[in-house]
Amino acid sequence: MTTIPVVYVKGQYNHLIVRNLKELGVESKLLPPSVSLEQLESMNPDALVMGGGPQNVRSPNQLTGELADAARLIRKVKLPMLCICVTHQLLATAFGGVTEAARKPEFGPVEISVIDEGRILEGLKPSFTAWESHNDEVLKVPEGFRVLAKSSNCAIEAMRHDNRPIFGVQFHPEVSHTLRGVDLFKNFLHVVEEHKRT
Amino acid sequence: MGKRLSVAVQGFHPSSFLSEETARLRELVQDKKVISAVSGGVDSTVATLVAREALGDKLLPIMIDTGFLRSGEPERVKERLAISPTSLKVRLVRASGRFLASVKEEKTAEEKRKKFRETFYQVLKEEAQKEGCEFILQGTIAPDWIETQGGIKTQHNILEQVGIDPVATYGFKIVEPLADLYKDQVRMLGRHLSLPSELSERQPFPGPGLLVRCIGNVTKEKMRVLKQATKIVETSLAPFNYEQYFAAVVENRFAKDPALKTLSEVAAEALGLPKSEVHVDVFEDRVTGVKGDQRCYGLLAGVKLSEESRETYGWLQDRLRQLQTGIVEKFSDITRVALLVQERRGGRHLSILVRAVSTRDFMTAAVSPVPWKILKDIGQQVLKEEDVSRVYYDITPKPPGTIEFE
Repeated sequence: MTTIPVVYVKGQYNHLIVRNLKELGVESKLLPPSVSLEQLESMNPDALVMGGGPQNVRSPNQLTGELADAARLIRKVKLPMLCICVTHQLLATAFGGVTEAARKPEFGPVEISVIDEGRILEGLKPSFTAWESHNDEVLKVPEGFRVLAKSSNCAIEAMRHDNRPIFGVQFHPEVSHTLRGVDLFKNFLHVVEEHKRT
Repeated sequence: MGKRLSVAVQGFHPSSFLSEETARLRELVQDKKVISAVSGGVDSTVATLVAREALGDKLLPIMIDTGFLRSGEPERVKERLAISPTSLKVRLVRASGRFLASVKEEKTAEEKRKKFRETFYQVLKEEAQKEGCEFILQGTIAPDWIETQGGIKTQHNILEQVGIDPVATYGFKIVEPLADLYKDQVRMLGRHLSLPSELSERQPFPGPGLLVRCIGNVTKEKMRVLKQATKIVETSLAPFNYEQYFAAVVENRFAKDPALKTLSEVAAEALGLPKSEVHVDVFEDRVTGVKGDQRCYGLLAGVKLSEESRETYGWLQDRLRQLQTGIVEKFSDITRVALLVQERRGGRHLSILVRAVSTRDFMTAAVSPVPWKILKDIGQQVLKEEDVSRVYYDITPKPPGTIEFE
């Protein structure tokens, strides 16, 4: 059995991530970001998914409690990781990238163009429709990361670490209106399975 | 969405859910009596049936008539639930006067919702004391606590998840057998419990009912007009299988913010129409939306096109979508956009909004493409009411809108 907890940062769709993972046969539940590394360790997780939330991460030094805790997990945990929406932005800033107010915020359906499948977007070329809800966006990916997808409003819709299985997506693969979202979770599970074997 | 449904079966098994949940309920409740708050909706009906499997006649179903139900609804629900296979003896508690009085002076959506919640639990408290019950059973499902906890809106049935202790405040414990499920899973469970499809597939209706579709302050006149429009919209749209569809009412008072001056221009540009053919009004009363996981109690823009363009653009969902994003992207205080379907000159001071969406789990929603001809037909019927002068069609998905208006 594969175990993938979901870090709950008070986003509306966090619980839908759990639902998606369960539907794919994964053991999953919501965890508060304040979970200690020992507690996390004791669950024997194979990977971590972090959801979206209402906070903003424009200034990495003034993170609110939940996001400060989530940033600690992003830095310390060495497992495969998928970060969605606000935690995608947090992933960028935690590794030295830049998040700012979006020039054009996106709400509802958005066409995502895949630049580089990077494993997580395998089979999703050339483009797919995803649903979004964000006021901020990643403006610059951190060193060691590369951009995987863009939209007409937002240049960094998805990114990944060059060597480690760490991924960030601005859109929401977990909502039912993102029809190909389930493919993204399946791709992530393939990466997790591979990581388990090494 | 077909592909999603096939995997959905893997994650949720009604029979194993039922055996785990009934065991948990027996353990929790022991031999105590439990009041079940029913509304006739699928969530509370299924929650009650799950509990009855576990508790038998220790379960006492009641229905509170809040006055914000549709015409004739309390009696219809009581009658329907009494017959097989539900066979529930529901006691009606009449409290419409109390509910109306409690929200009367309130204008903002959250205050109205909080007053409603307070009255709701006061009534339940009195009923629990009368019956000597320690437990109240509710049909709370996942989106209810997620939206309340995330600060999107106060759902009337959420206490513990936002730090209100029901035992200390009201003297009873709350039981929520469906709290981890979504609507489609509840329906699946309902079918497993042999609910007839008119109940398992019943159109959802919010707990605070028409209160959250009466935008801004509540008056008897607005409620009367809303009840009539509700009947017209429900009858006209029922054949289309949209997951949710309804009417809302708002007063024709418009915001005069200079920041909104360029709005008509932006709307015309988004549609590719000359400026002279587009006029946008912004309503003064605010409506609930959600942007970037944050509650956004924002403005509602009503777009009027010249009659000829309306005939063309009313059918073009993609262009309407561009109109909506074009406006919401540029004006951060606007959460929702509606298109004028019909108006009557010299009509009185109310507008009716028509909303229809497709959604699996009520967490995201796409605007349903209601045929323009049907919208016009609804418009004509609604405008027979002399207090209404305009009928609009809401073209906002969730996000940035929510499904309901408040």
